[in-house]
Amino acid sequence: MDLDAHLSEIQSGDADAFGRWVAGAEPALRASLRSFAARVDTEAVLQEALLRVWQVAPKVIPDGRPNSLLRLALRVAKNRALSELRRARVVGVDDEKFARLVEEESEAIATPPPDPMLRRAFEDCRSALPPQPSNVLAARLESSGESDETLAMMLGMRANTFLQNFTRARKLLLDCLQKKGITLGEAT
Amino acid sequence: MTPQTPEQRNELVLSVTSAHRDRDAHGEIRAHRAWHDLDEAGRIEAHDETRKLRALESVASADGLTSTARAVLSRIKRAP
Repeated sequence: MDLDAHLSEIQSGDADAFGRWVAGAEPALRASLRSFAARVDTEAVLQEALLRVWQVAPKVIPDGRPNSLLRLALRVAKNRALSELRRARVVGVDDEKFARLVEEESEAIATPPPDPMLRRAFEDCRSALPPQPSNVLAARLESSGESDETLAMMLGMRANTFLQNFTRARKLLLDCLQKKGITLGEAT
Repeated sequence: MTPQTPEQRNELVLSVTSAHRDRDAHGEIRAHRAWHDLDEAGRIEAHDETRKLRALESVASADGLTSTARAVLSRIKRAP
């Protein structure tokens, strides 16, 4: 799957096309940051990297190989993580070791859209949740980066009640999917 | 780092899985405040848990977008 199919629209400033690109690129980008997860907040790094990719995308010239923008994004994300490490002056960090990680290009494998069978199994499991955990799960899954405090307020809950319901929803959902033979990370 | 019960630690991990991130005075995205209260193992657990949750978000959404993607797109679309 070559996500460069979206490149010309992205380069013309189409944010929705960038969204379609992100949908296929995000899993590989997040996975590429795992080596840094103990020392930097990978969610913050990933969001900064995606914003940077949007800014530099108009200058990207495809090199004839698939996923040129994803390969660039992998480098941007790792450089951003490295920069965070240096900024935090983390004790014991071997900068050369992390620099080598930047050099090693992660696999630029785009993720295809979710399998309809997986979507159906997810909806079956989700519809079996009790009301409160179901509402909390929906709020989190459909959020656009609002804080848990904001989502809790929208549902008329205290923040810790929100997190308790989220914990319960997550466990029930993952158990239900597992009973259907689906383990996240294998199927997705 | 304050000693944590398993429940408190679990709440910190799940807090970090949110796509919400504050910004500093220069507009740069900051680490989640709960992330600072986790030890290294907890931070790796939060990363792995986020990966699973984003997979669920992608399945739940008709366009395959996660909360991370929506947060970034929202910022892009708000930019002048």
